[in-house]
Amino acid sequence: MKRVPSIANRLAWTQLGVTLLWSLAVSMAVWLTVREEVGELLDDTLREAAHIMAPSFSGPVLPPPVAKTSERSDSYAWQVVAHAPGGGAAQVLAQSTMAPDAPFQQTPTAGFADCADWRVYGAALGQEGRMLYVAQLQKEQVEASLEASFNAALATLAVSLLAHLWLRARTVRELSPLTRLSDRLSQHDLLAPGATLGPAERAELAPVHSAIDALAEQLGRRMANERAFSAHAAHSLRTPLAGIDAQLAVALREAPPELQARLQRVRSATSRLQRVVAALLALFRSGVEVQRSVIDLPALLTRLPVDGLTVSTEPTHAVVGDVDLLSAALLNLLDNAVRHGATSLHITTPAPGVLRLQDNGPGVDEAQRLALQAAVAGASLETHTGLGLILASLVARAHGGHLNLPPAEHGFVVELQLMDVPHV
Amino acid sequence: MRLLLIEDDDILGEGLRDFLAADGHLVDWCQSLSAVDALRGEPFDALLVDWQLPDGSGLQWLKNQRRHGDSTPALILTARDRLHDRIEGLDSGADDYLVKPFAPEELTARLRAINRRRAGASGPRLSYGPVDLDLAAKAARLDGLRVELTAREWAVLEALALRSGRIVPKDDLERLVLGFESELSSNALEVHVSALRRKLGRELIETVRGLGYRIGESK
Repeated sequence: MKRVPSIANRLAWTQLGVTLLWSLAVSMAVWLTVREEVGELLDDTLREAAHIMAPSFSGPVLPPPVAKTSERSDSYAWQVVAHAPGGGAAQVLAQSTMAPDAPFQQTPTAGFADCADWRVYGAALGQEGRMLYVAQLQKEQVEASLEASFNAALATLAVSLLAHLWLRARTVRELSPLTRLSDRLSQHDLLAPGATLGPAERAELAPVHSAIDALAEQLGRRMANERAFSAHAAHSLRTPLAGIDAQLAVALREAPPELQARLQRVRSATSRLQRVVAALLALFRSGVEVQRSVIDLPALLTRLPVDGLTVSTEPTHAVVGDVDLLSAALLNLLDNAVRHGATSLHITTPAPGVLRLQDNGPGVDEAQRLALQAAVAGASLETHTGLGLILASLVARAHGGHLNLPPAEHGFVVELQLMDVPHV
Repeated sequence: MRLLLIEDDDILGEGLRDFLAADGHLVDWCQSLSAVDALRGEPFDALLVDWQLPDGSGLQWLKNQRRHGDSTPALILTARDRLHDRIEGLDSGADDYLVKPFAPEELTARLRAINRRRAGASGPRLSYGPVDLDLAAKAARLDGLRVELTAREWAVLEALALRSGRIVPKDDLERLVLGFESELSSNALEVHVSALRRKLGRELIETVRGLGYRIGESK
């Protein structure tokens, strides 16, 4: 059976995708915002530090360099640089221990600048050409931004996953009315008079309920019409046939001997006509429903006598089917056998739900057999198969099976498969 | 047997009437329920009732008959062949249910079966001391020897045998055997009873003075 997509699974995957995209988008937004804000904050720190430190270096005597200790941050540095007038080489006059030996800038540069791995803020000191540079390693800024972004992303992802789980549970809960609807439908008798599905559990299901109730009403009307027609047709066909038979029975008693044989033939034909009509009526009814029950085959056959044919049976498997339909099919097949020269017919059940009829008639050649098989397989009335085979085939189909005409060494064989199994 | 046939179809009704009459039965054929009203109070051995009639349901009519205490064996004749129809038919008081089309020979066989059950016999033979009756063959034997009876004599014997052990009022017996002809012939019944006693022995049919006739229970 082909696996069909699940609404719950599809919604879950969609929610998961949305959750991940949401987490990514929020992380990106946080990262961009934090990078900007942290950059500004650190720049402000550098500038303030420079403005605080600048007065200390404005005099002619420079303070000694700050000793390098483990307690101090190794990400900050400063330099006092003397820039020669006219673009000569810059000279570091004083510096912190973490500062590089080379001056941060070769030309006096006030304000912010990026220099190698450092973010540098330059402030002019009072003396000509002397600059104070306060710097911070750039990787510190990046690390701070990434750390903030990562934490934000982690928090967003956690919230999103929780939201996903909650949404998934919610989705399953919201879809449960659909499951209950299918349960109700499986137990709902669409054709029971006045039967409705009742109120819908969700507004979205109300149209489904209405559609099913409307369908049930439509089906009920159609069924009622078909039943009425079937009853009417049965009465209109069966009563005159019974009348004809009764009149013929009287005529046979009253007629002179020379007319007896002719009347008997007419009565036999009437009897055959009765069987065909009964089969057609049963088939028409089976379009509505097939009433299955376990069939006592020997007992059924005693109720289906056909003049001139000895019928024997040896059932080894149970036969389950509609007794009226099966009677109609068997009557027509037995009648066929007689009309095609058989005097005896044996019925077996080689498998559950399979009836095999083999007669002692002349049978048909292989080409005819294949043509008949093709005709009954397609229920085509163009090939002259005889109504008996077509009726039997329709009966088998009404049971969800098919009629098979296997090759036989002697006589003619018909297999009625009453269950749905592949053709042999 | 005197039979009431309620069947609206001309061809079937006439065919059955003639077939059953030729089989030795006395048949009153009505084509509607209103026509049956004219026969109210008449005794019958069996009722043959069509389900669908022009002026009502034969099944409903039968239910009413049963409600009013009429236990005459009844057989439903109908085109309705569905299982629930058959169940409804039998549950409404019918003793048997025959789906059209049917062979009239089957109808007469079912009538015999119904009446055998009514007479408490498992087979077609009833035995009254030296007298044996074969309901299917319509034959009587005295000490094993076949006794020839006329159709009317057999009808009287059959009507009493089907009510073995019960007193059958003379009027009822006359109407069962002779139908409406009973009004025309005042002593026809006595003639037939007398002939039966002569052919089968005086002990077979007992006269219950002032009440009617009785035949002993079959052994």
